[in-house]
Amino acid sequence: MESIIEVHNLKKSYKKRKTKEEIHAVKGISFSVNRGEILGLLEPNGAGKSTTIKMICGLVKPDSGRIIIKGLDNHEKRLKALRHISAVLEGNRNLYWRLTVRENMEYFAGNRGFSRKEVSEQIDGLLAEFHLKDKEYELVNRLSRGMQQKLAIAVAMLADSDVILLDEPTLGLDVETSYEVRELLQHVAHDHHRTIIISSHDMDVIQDICERTVIINNGSVVTDDRVENLLKLFEVRAYSLTLGGLLTDQQQQILQQKFPLSQYIPDTYQSTFEVELEKSEEIYELFDIFKIESTPVEAIDRKTVDFEQIFMKIVKGEAKHEMAPSS
Amino acid sequence: MRWLHLLKANTRKEYIELKRYLPNTIAMLLTFYIIFLAMFAGIQVIGDPSTQDMNVQFVIVNYIFWYLAMVVVQDIGWQITNEATQGTLEQLSMSPMGVWKIILTRLLALVLVHFLIVVVLLYLSMLTTGQWLNIDVLTLLPILVLTLISMFGLGFIIAGMSIIFKQVQAFLQILQFILAGLVFVPLSVAPFLAFLPIVKGVDLVRSVMIDGIILTGIGFGDYMIILFNAIFYFVIGLVFFLNCERMAMKKGLLAHY
Repeated sequence: MESIIEVHNLKKSYKKRKTKEEIHAVKGISFSVNRGEILGLLEPNGAGKSTTIKMICGLVKPDSGRIIIKGLDNHEKRLKALRHISAVLEGNRNLYWRLTVRENMEYFAGNRGFSRKEVSEQIDGLLAEFHLKDKEYELVNRLSRGMQQKLAIAVAMLADSDVILLDEPTLGLDVETSYEVRELLQHVAHDHHRTIIISSHDMDVIQDICERTVIINNGSVVTDDRVENLLKLFEVRAYSLTLGGLLTDQQQQILQQKFPLSQYIPDTYQSTFEVELEKSEEIYELFDIFKIESTPVEAIDRKTVDFEQIFMKIVKGEAKHEMAPSS
Repeated sequence: MRWLHLLKANTRKEYIELKRYLPNTIAMLLTFYIIFLAMFAGIQVIGDPSTQDMNVQFVIVNYIFWYLAMVVVQDIGWQITNEATQGTLEQLSMSPMGVWKIILTRLLALVLVHFLIVVVLLYLSMLTTGQWLNIDVLTLLPILVLTLISMFGLGFIIAGMSIIFKQVQAFLQILQFILAGLVFVPLSVAPFLAFLPIVKGVDLVRSVMIDGIILTGIGFGDYMIILFNAIFYFVIGLVFFLNCERMAMKKGLLAHY
């Protein structure tokens, strides 16, 4: 698959204002983004994601490394590279609140060198698609946050750029609007053939719409894999076993030693044992321990793991897996 | 052509905001008119009666230019500061046109839109004082254009400072007095000030509007000075701004406020 963005060994450090201590915000990040893909760029707070996004957008200059956008180095040919990229970095703050919906769209198109006539039809189409037609002449400060967010995305779409970067696109939105924005983003990627990079702390959004995620921690990429793969990978190892009665102290001791990532919830009639196995074969060892006291196993359920749990495990270093190639 | 679309977009935005907030625009116009009335009253009360007419004409030209300088130089600083606070500065910085071109078209847009206000202020002040100045458009135009170019250079310097420091409001307040100094200083008092921005241009405009000098009556040397000032300050301003932009990108300041 064709890469539209290639990030090579990106590094950026800052000096603290008072102490002059050097902070390595980004320590050699590399990844690529394929055309038409929805990529989630994730990190715990302050781990280098925002700096990476701003470097891709050409707002921050890297200390070293390269960012290639559609074959153009975004440092050497910054303005040409910026033709292929647009961003919604601060959501509704990226708009002029004293202009109307249509005026905002026309102004930003003008700032990219398009005439009002050139984009008139496109604006009409986007207003209809984003359900903003009836708000066309409304001042932005009178719109709801969700509508402002949709408008910010529509403005980014106007530029005809191949890549759209979105920082926290659902932040502060109610559930209904959040779903609407998710649907819109999927529509934008699939029907308009745009590449979307999303950074968000809302793991539901990532799980719901992203095809692949790059997880950054302490300034480095710790995971680069398809969301589907990550979910499968973690799902097969997590089990919840319903036991008929209690485990003995000896059993509990052995289980704790062999399976440190487990939890025992005792109950006289029906205890629960939750475990995460490193290898699928470990399930046999588990049964051997129950067999010591002939503890009946009444049910085995595969635990559903959500993306938030996977993310937390990865950033806490509790789980590692090989990084898949980006294509 | 993209340049033209950029200029149109920024001029339209400026016009829409002035029109949409008409009471604010009228208040601004009134403030300037009141300042002028205060100056006029000052001349009437404490001025030398023998030079009163001349002083009034002097003040009209100066204060019109002061308004123009404030609009061009100071307003761009306010705009950058506001855009940084609102979160739109990073969107401008991501424009493939280049942020300096947006700033330049903003400066042009400010002049185009506020020109109407300048004309209103000029005629209002002439009407108030009964002093009718010589408005020779053909002679005034080249002087005005070259003086505006040097003002744009100052505008770029202020825009660059605003991008780096963000909190420049206090400086912008002081700037209005610096601009007043540049505009009001008579060149006969300190001829070397001709090489400061605006000063020579205003001096020549005074010669045209008060003394009635025509295009051919202005010396070649005078034209050369305003031409030199225009190129010098514009280039200095632009280079300063581009360096500020580079520094902001290096330090990650483009999106911060």
